This record gives sequence, structure tokens and C-alpha cells, in this order.
Amino acid sequence: MPKYIVHFAQYHEDFRLAELDALSTLEGVPIKYDRESYSPESPFLIVEIESSEQARKLARRGILLRKIVEYWGCAETYGQLFAEVKQTPERWDEYMTCSFKFMVEGFGRSLTLEEQVAVIESFSFLGFKGPIKMKNPDVEFSVCEEYGETDKPVPPKSPKRIWFGRLIAQGSRDLISKFDLKKRKYLGNTSMDAELSLVMANQALARPGALVYDPFVGTGSFLLTCSHFGAFSMGSDIDGRQIRGTAGFRRGVNGIKANLAQYDLADRVLDTVVFDICRNPWRRGTKFDAIVTDPPYGVRAGAKRLGRKNGTVPEVSFKIIDGVENYKRDDYYPPTIPYEMSDVISDLLNFAAQELVVGGRLVYWLPTVADEYDHKDIPSHPALRLVANSEQPFGSWSRRLVTMEKITEVEPSAASSPAPGHEPAHKNFREKYFNRFEPLPSDPSKQ
Amino acid sequence: MRLITHNMLKCHVRNCTDPDKQFPLRFENAELEQIEAERNDEFLVRMIPRLDWPALVKTATALGIALPASIPETPSEDDDFLQKLHTTILETHVKEGSMFCDGCGHEYKITNGIPNMLLAEHEI
Repeated sequence: MPKYIVHFAQYHEDFRLAELDALSTLEGVPIKYDRESYSPESPFLIVEIESSEQARKLARRGILLRKIVEYWGCAETYGQLFAEVKQTPERWDEYMTCSFKFMVEGFGRSLTLEEQVAVIESFSFLGFKGPIKMKNPDVEFSVCEEYGETDKPVPPKSPKRIWFGRLIAQGSRDLISKFDLKKRKYLGNTSMDAELSLVMANQALARPGALVYDPFVGTGSFLLTCSHFGAFSMGSDIDGRQIRGTAGFRRGVNGIKANLAQYDLADRVLDTVVFDICRNPWRRGTKFDAIVTDPPYGVRAGAKRLGRKNGTVPEVSFKIIDGVENYKRDDYYPPTIPYEMSDVISDLLNFAAQELVVGGRLVYWLPTVADEYDHKDIPSHPALRLVANSEQPFGSWSRRLVTMEKITEVEPSAASSPAPGHEPAHKNFREKYFNRFEPLPSDPSKQ
Repeated sequence: MRLITHNMLKCHVRNCTDPDKQFPLRFENAELEQIEAERNDEFLVRMIPRLDWPALVKTATALGIALPASIPETPSEDDDFLQKLHTTILETHVKEGSMFCDGCGHEYKITNGIPNMLLAEHEI
């Protein structure tokens, strides 16, 4: 298959290959690449794709994928690069009379205008006769000098490599600005940032005709991005105030509905319902194409479920107030108990195994403690296959975006299992977080 | 709340387990609103097998909406059917009102289009 250069954004490096694979699956574009040649420090990867048409399809929803360039050469010096390009002069004929443009960039170093012009002039051997056109040329060529990231004040004199090719397609990074939280009408303190919300929609394969569900919907960030890509979506949350907009930032804008109006997604964001996912009212036969969610870790948002703590005075739910039993009143909030992180996750996996269609995806965030993380921490389930696991580090802790695919239908009794005898690092995450990840007094083995 | 969502919700009070009684939930004092939405046939056709058709017909009838008693052989080719389906499940919203369970009598209230399905502590 012909070679192309995938040019990634240099952010969320651990998520890039996962997104590339998701786009390949989503768009039905088979690709081949050498895993060993991928480096988190480089934004470039050579990928084999069947055609430019396919490459265009692959790139169109890319968030961490900036653009795809048809491979014309890659070398350590311009001399070697020109030699490589000169091996296929028959390629140049097609563009002889086209209007064209050269885009010259540096990765790890900014090139001055003079330097860019000098580079462009050095390619005059191509002999293009057409006019130079800066806006919407017939063809655009891309030169990128890869210096690499450095923390030294002065970047290296010469690039590690120079990449050259013909621009095929750009991704959709412009969506990040569109969904920027700073512009969003309604948000809360746990709303997920736009870039990652969009990546999650790709991981979930959100597409027209699909039904996506978020069981911890909060202020609805994932409903927006999944529905933007054509999926229909639904959400639920134990906290009705987040959904309705009667708590959190920007009170009085009518909650999630304000965002639906802002992004014109009211047609496809179907509904939000208030209930506890542990006691959910979905009937048998309900099926979702994807479940996309950020469960509460108990740090900023207290994870809770319906129930009563041991030792507390039973609430008088039946107490009559103004002629009506307390539990029937509009302002009744049933008592809740803390919902421990590893229970949240194992319940989520069991729920997904039941309610997803076969081939459907579960995409969720898992908080982990950096020092203690072990691959075994990623919960498994007999009906779910692990597709991707990408880390966003925050120093002493990280969160991981886990993608799983349902591979088989389940009997209601099949359940998720942590590795036997293994206590995952995200157990009691909240206590660890507030204890700054120092060993807990109750755990002598770690002192 | 759209009727598609209502078709997916059952009563989940503890010990209320008679499938004929706990679903579909019965509307009372339902304030309806029709909001036009773009039709997406791919989605409609995918959803048909996931709907409980008899329950949908029962609910629609109670609200004064006509739906065919059974799904046509090839729904993807039946424009009329798809239009009726689209209008019923995606364009019909219940803004205010209540949903009652015929099994245990529990009332789920709908406010501003959002149903509250939290259970009281003696019901979990």
C-alpha cells in the first residue's frame, strides 16, 4: 500500500495511536504501520493506506491527528531528501501547471520567513510552472523539519529529519475551539475539556445511527461531542441538579438544554433522566451502541449511590409534611452513601456487558495512582475485550481512558472480576488522593 | 422526555417485578409538546428491533396518537411508517406529568421534560 505521513498533534501523546486505530475502524479504512517506529516524542508516523481517498476519510474526524501527507521523502539532510524525491520524477508531472503552495514548518523550532523562503526555493528543481497561490491552491506541499522537543533554551542547529510530501487532508482540530468550555453556555466543575471529549467520541465510534449513553452525564459533555458526530445520545445522573442547571456554574440557563441550543444538537441529544445507575430502570432488551462516561472518582464530585449509612438515624421518609409523605414531596432527596471507586468500575463493566450491543464500546476514565499502577488494575470482564488504555498524567496520579469492546452476549449472572488477590490502585482512590498518595496508616505493607 | 426513552424505562422499585405490570409506565396529566426534528432513517431502522412495539402502541394510543399495530415487513422502504415512527418516538415530548407503575403504584414525576426516577430508601 502507498505510504503516507501521519502528522499528529504533540498533545496527549499516549492517546494518539489509540485514536488512529479508532478512526481506522470507524471509517472502514485498513491501515498498516510499524508500532516500533512510533515514538511519543515525535509527531510523525509513516502509515500505509490504500489510496488518497481512503487517507482523506481516515483524517476527517482526527482530533489528535492533525493532517495526512502523501509521502514523498524523509531524510536527515536536504541533500538526501532531494535525492530521494528525484527518484520518482514521473510523480511531478501531474502538478506541473497547477496552482500550488509550500508550507514549511519546524517541530521544536520556529523557522523565520527567510528560512522558509530559502527552503521553498531549494525545491525549484521540481520545475513547477503553475502560479503560487496562498489560499486554496490546487495542490499544497508540506515540508517539516523535525528538531524534537527540548528543554534547552537553544534548539539544535540541524533537524533530526526532514519530512516532505503532498498534503492530502486535515483533521478536525478546529472542533476543539468550537466546543471549548470557555465558550460553553452551561458547564460544571467536572465538565470534561473539549479535546478529550472529542477524542472519546472517536474512541466510542460515535456515528450516525448509533445510540450512545452516559450513566454519569453531569453537564453532558459527551452527549454533545458524540451527537456532533451524528450519534443519538442519552444520559442519566443521580444528581438532577447538574442536569437541570439548578446547581453548578451558570445557574439559570436551564442546564444541559442551553448547550443543546448553543450547538444545535437538540434533535439528537434525546433525553436525560435522573436515577442511580445502581438502581436503574432500563428494561430488558434495552441496548446501546456505546457507553461513554467519566465516573466520579470521589475527589471533586463525591461518588454516591442510594442507601443509608450504618449507624445513622433512619430518615423518616414516611413523615407527613403538609399532608404528604416526605418521600413523595418534590423536594425529597433520598439518602445516599459513598460509592467506592472499584465498585463503581466493576458495576459499570457489568452494566456495559449487559446493555451494549455486541461490537459496541465502553469508553471510560479510570483514575490510577502513578506509583502503584499495574496493568492488572484495569478491570476485566469475560464479555469485554480491552481495545485501548491511554494515560493522562497529573504527577502523583493519572487517569486512563479505557476503551473496551463487547465481544459476546452475556447471561445476567456473568460478572466482572478483578485479578484474584489483587487490590487495584484505584480502590479507595478518594482517600489516597486526599492523603497525597502517601501510604495509608491502615496499610502496613506499604510503609 | 421523548417517547423513545419512555419505551425503555420500567418501574424498578424493590419487589416490583411483574414484567406485565412494571412496563410500560402509565402516563397521567401528561403535557405533550411536538418539536420538529430532522429525520434519520438509519437510526429509526436500527432502533426498531430495540423497541417494545406493543408497549409503544399502548402508550401512544393512551396519548391519542395513532400507530400501526405491527411493524411492516421492510420498514426501511416504508416512508409513511418511518414518518409516523419518527413523529411518535422522536418528536413527541412529555414536558410535565407523571408516570405510574401499575404494579406497585409508584409515581415518577416529570418536570421540565426530565423524569425523576430516584427511589425512596424503602424502595431500594
